[in-house]
Amino acid sequence: MGDAIRDDHGSAPFRVVIVGGGTAGWMSAAGIRRQLETQNYSVTLIESDEIGTVGVGEATLPHIKIFNDMLGLDEAQFMRATRATFKLGIQFRDWDQPGDCYIHPFGAFGEPWGGVEFQHHWLRGQREGHQRFSLQDFSYSVVAARNNAFEFPNEDRKSIRSTYSYAYHFDAGLYAAYLRSWAMERGVRRIEGQVCNVSRHPTTGDIKDLTLKSGEHVAGDLFIDCSGFRSLLLGSVMGVAWQDWTHWLPCDRALAVPCKRVGALTPYTRSTARPAGWIWRIPLQHRTGNGYIFSSRFINEGEARDTLLSNLDGAAQGEPRLLRFSPGRRERAWSGNCVAIGLASGFLEPLESTSIYLIQAAVTDLVNLMPRPRSAGVDARLVNEFNRLNEMQYERIRDFLILHYTANRRVGEPLWDYARSMPLPDSLVHKLQLFRSRAALPGHQYGLFARDSWLAVFVGQGIVATGYDRLADAFALSALDERLSEFRNRIQTNVDAMTSHGAFIANFAPAMELANSEAAVA
Amino acid sequence: MSTRQLLSRVVVMGRDVDLWLCVNAISRALGPAGVNVTAIELPTRLRPFEVSATLPPLEALHSKLGIKEPTLIRATAGSFSFGQNFVAGFGLGRPLNFFHAWGAYGAGIDGSAFFPCWLKATRYGLKVSFQDFCLTAVAAKNGRMLLPDEATAAFGRTDYGYHVRTMAYAGYLKSIAANLGVKIYQAQKGLVERDETGSIAALIIDGSLRIEGQLFVDATGPDAILIGRSLDVPSDDWRQYFSVDRVLAARAPAFTKTPPFAEIRITGVGWTALHPNQAGTGVRHAYSSEFLSDEAALESASAAADAKLADVSFRTVTTSVRSRVWEGNCVAVGGSACVFDPIHDVDLHALQLGLVHLLSLFPVTGQFAVERAEYNRIMRSHYERIRDFQCAFYAVAPFGGQFWQQARGRSVPQTLAHKIATFRACGQIAPMEDETFSPDSWQAIFVGLGVVPESWPPTIDRIPPHRFNEEFHRTIEFIKGKVLEQPTHDGYLDSIGRSSAA
Repeated sequence: MGDAIRDDHGSAPFRVVIVGGGTAGWMSAAGIRRQLETQNYSVTLIESDEIGTVGVGEATLPHIKIFNDMLGLDEAQFMRATRATFKLGIQFRDWDQPGDCYIHPFGAFGEPWGGVEFQHHWLRGQREGHQRFSLQDFSYSVVAARNNAFEFPNEDRKSIRSTYSYAYHFDAGLYAAYLRSWAMERGVRRIEGQVCNVSRHPTTGDIKDLTLKSGEHVAGDLFIDCSGFRSLLLGSVMGVAWQDWTHWLPCDRALAVPCKRVGALTPYTRSTARPAGWIWRIPLQHRTGNGYIFSSRFINEGEARDTLLSNLDGAAQGEPRLLRFSPGRRERAWSGNCVAIGLASGFLEPLESTSIYLIQAAVTDLVNLMPRPRSAGVDARLVNEFNRLNEMQYERIRDFLILHYTANRRVGEPLWDYARSMPLPDSLVHKLQLFRSRAALPGHQYGLFARDSWLAVFVGQGIVATGYDRLADAFALSALDERLSEFRNRIQTNVDAMTSHGAFIANFAPAMELANSEAAVA
Repeated sequence: MSTRQLLSRVVVMGRDVDLWLCVNAISRALGPAGVNVTAIELPTRLRPFEVSATLPPLEALHSKLGIKEPTLIRATAGSFSFGQNFVAGFGLGRPLNFFHAWGAYGAGIDGSAFFPCWLKATRYGLKVSFQDFCLTAVAAKNGRMLLPDEATAAFGRTDYGYHVRTMAYAGYLKSIAANLGVKIYQAQKGLVERDETGSIAALIIDGSLRIEGQLFVDATGPDAILIGRSLDVPSDDWRQYFSVDRVLAARAPAFTKTPPFAEIRITGVGWTALHPNQAGTGVRHAYSSEFLSDEAALESASAAADAKLADVSFRTVTTSVRSRVWEGNCVAVGGSACVFDPIHDVDLHALQLGLVHLLSLFPVTGQFAVERAEYNRIMRSHYERIRDFQCAFYAVAPFGGQFWQQARGRSVPQTLAHKIATFRACGQIAPMEDETFSPDSWQAIFVGLGVVPESWPPTIDRIPPHRFNEEFHRTIEFIKGKVLEQPTHDGYLDSIGRSSAA
C-alpha cells in the first residue's frame, strides 16, 4: 500500500458509484466532490425519476450549517431555493400528558455558576421556594421561539445572544435538487436509470458492477447505497443483517400531507403526541408539512388518516401518502466495498430531526476513511472504524428518542401504556436514574445529544430530580435569587428587540416563486 | 443513619499526597455546603527527596484550592515540566530521541488538522520532525519556559506540569487542610467497624479512638487498607499488559541548568526517568524482576543517570485496577483504586480524576447506589483509556533487549488494538470517550517510536503542496521567534523566587 500512494496522479481515478438520489445520495455526492480531488476520485450517481424519494418537509439540526458551509453554499440562496425557514428548536405538545408543552431548543439553559451546572441552581431555587419559574424561561432560544422571533446568533461569547444556534426547515426534495445542480456542475456524473442486476467478485464478494435496465454496465471501486428503505446493495446484495428496534420504538408507519400555510411563521418544528403516535408540523415558506407517525399495532391506517386530516392548520394539499418503515439499523453500515448512507443503513423516526444529521456524519466519516486512490481494495481497518462510529451515533440517538416515549403520563392509551412499561436499554436506565437522583446529565464528547438537550427532555417529560449537586448549596440563596431574576430579565430585554421570524425571512431569503408572485401583486 | 438525611460526615484515611489532595478537594468544595471532613493520617511512605511529576490539568484543581503557582513552586522546590524527552542510545536497535510535549503540535492548514499534512509531506520528503512543530517542545529543549500570550493561544495549547518534591508538596497540602479547619488525627493503623448492612460505621484508630462517618474514602495508596484489606474488593490484574514490576527510586545531583522537562532514558533492561527540580534530580528506574536483580538495577540506573545515586529505595509495582472503586460506603481514590505503570507519570492525574468525579457525584443523602454505579463505570472507563495509552508505548516500542522484546510480545486490550490498527492504516486516532491523553499525545508517541501510518485521510490531497510549504515555514519561523522571547527556565524560577526547601 505504501508504494501505491507514491504517485496519485496520472492514472485512472478511484470510482465511487452512488445508487439512489434523494437527500442521502446528493449529500454524499456533493460531500465527496467537495472534499476529495477530482483526478483521484470519480463520482457517479444513479437515480431514477420513476422511484420516488421519501423526502418530505424536512427539519434539521444546526450541524447542517457546517455541511453547507463546507460546500460553500450561500445561505440566503440555499434558503430561497429550498423555501426554507429557520428553526430554533422543537415544540413538544401533549407528550408528557395532554395539555403539556415544552420546547427542546438548540441552546443553553441558564449559565453555570461557580463551576456548577445551571440545573442544580435552578432546582435549588425551586426547592427553597423563592423561584417558581419553569426551566424553559431560562433559555434564550425557547423565549425567542415562543415569540416567533428570529435573529442570527451573536458571536460575542459574553452576549446572551451567543447561547443558541439554529437549523432550518426545508423541502428535502428541493434540497436534493439544489445539491444535484451543485454537484453536477462540479463533475458528478448522473445516470438516469434503475439497477436490475449486481455482479460480485466470486472470491471477495465485493461488488464489481451494476447492470441498469437500459443494459448499461456501471463498474466501480466503492458503492454507496443510498437506495433508502430497500437497502438494495447493503441489505439485499451484501446480506448485512437488520437489527430491529421496534420493541423500543414501536411506530412503523407514517402518513404525510402538506397543507396551506396559515398564520405566523413559527421558528420551530412542532411534534404533538396522539393516542397511537405523534404528528409533526414543519413550517416552510410556501406550505406546512404534516405527518402522523404511528404504530400499526395500535391504530389502523384509516383512523390515522382521519386524525391527521382533522389536525391541520389549513387545507390539505392532496391525499396523505403512506410510508412503511421499521426502526433499527443494519448491523454494519459498511461491508466489503459497499457502504450504506441514509435510510439504507438504518431508520430512526424523525422525532428529533436526526435523519439528515446521520447522513452528514456518515459522509464526514466516509471521506476521512475513504480508501486511497489506486489502493488494492478496501482497508478492513478503516471499515471497522467507520462502523464503530456509525454504531455509536445510532445508539446514542436511539436512547434519546426512547426517553420521549417511556417518560409519559398518558395513562389509558395502549401505545403510551406500553412505552411506560417496556424494558429499556441499560444505557438509558442508567441515565434516567442519574437524573432522578441528582439531576446529573449524560456527558459524552462524541455524537448526539448534548447535556442541555437531555435536560430539556428530562424536565419536559416530567421527570423529577429528587436531588441536585451538593456544590450548589455552597452559594448564598439571596445571590441565587438575584442571578436567576437577572438572567430572565436579560433574556426578555434581548428577545423584545428581535425581529419576527416571518419578517426576517421575507427580508433575508424569500423563496424564489414567492418573491416573484409578491412582486407581481405589488 | 437515616438514608434520607443529607450526607455530611466524610472520613478520609490515607497518607501523603493522596490523603491531602483528597481532603482539600472535598473540604474546599463541599465545606460551605455543610460537609464535614475528618482526616486520619497514616505514617508517610515517602523518601525525603522523592519527586512527583504532574500533568497540566492539576493547575485547575490547584486554583480551586486557592493554591498560587509561585507559592507552590517555592514550597516544593518545584520546577516546570513541558513534557517528556525520550532518549534511546545506540545498541538498542536504533538510536531515537523524541519529545512528548503537553502542548499542541503544529497548526491546522486550510481547515485540515496538522498531523495528516505533516504525514503526507514527510512521505514526499519533508525532513522536519513532528516535534519541531511543537512550540512547547522546542522551547523546553532550549531550556526555556513558554509563557502564553495571544499569539501562542491562537497557535494552540502550551500546557505544562510540575516536578515537585513530593514530601514538601504533601506537607504544603496538609497545612492548607489544617487552615480549612479539617480535623486531623494521626494514626499508626485503623480498624474497620461494619454495621449490620456491611457498610462501614466507624474507624477505630490505634485500638482506642472511634471515628464515625457516613462516607469513607480510602486514600491509603496501593495498600488499599479500607477497600482492599477490609472490604475485600479484589483487583483486576493488568500485569499481562505490562512488564515493569519493580521500580528503583533515588536522588541524583541537580543539573547545572534545570531542564524544564522529564527525561526518559531507555536502557536494554527497562528505562530510567530523570525528574529535575530545584532540590536535585529525582531518578526512577523501572524494570522487570524477571530479567534484573535490584543490585543490577542500581548499576543500570547509575549508568543511565550518569551520576552517583543517593537515597536509593525499591518498590514493587502491581499494575491493576480495583474491580469496584466504590463499594458500600467506601470510595477508593488514587493508588488504592488503580496502580498504573510508572512511565507517563499519571498517578496524580488519576487521583485528580477520582476526586473530580467524586465531587460531581457526591451523594446527596445516604441513598447513593446510583452515584456509586456511575462512579464505578466512569472511573473504570477513564482508567482503561490511560492504561491503553501506556500499553501502546510498550506495544510499539522498537528497542532491543529482553525487557522490550517481552513487552512487545504481550497482549493488548481490544480497544487499543483497534486504535493501533486505525493509526497504522491512516494516521487517525480513533476517538473514544474519557481520554486523558489528546490525539497530539498519541501521535507524538506513535511517531516518536517509529510507527509510520501507511496512508492519510484523502481529504488533505485537495490542499496544494505549496500551501504545506508556506504554512510549515510560517510555523517554524513563528516557533523560532516565540522561543527566543521566552525567559530561560532558571531565569523564570529566579524571578518567582527560589525555594527555601531547595
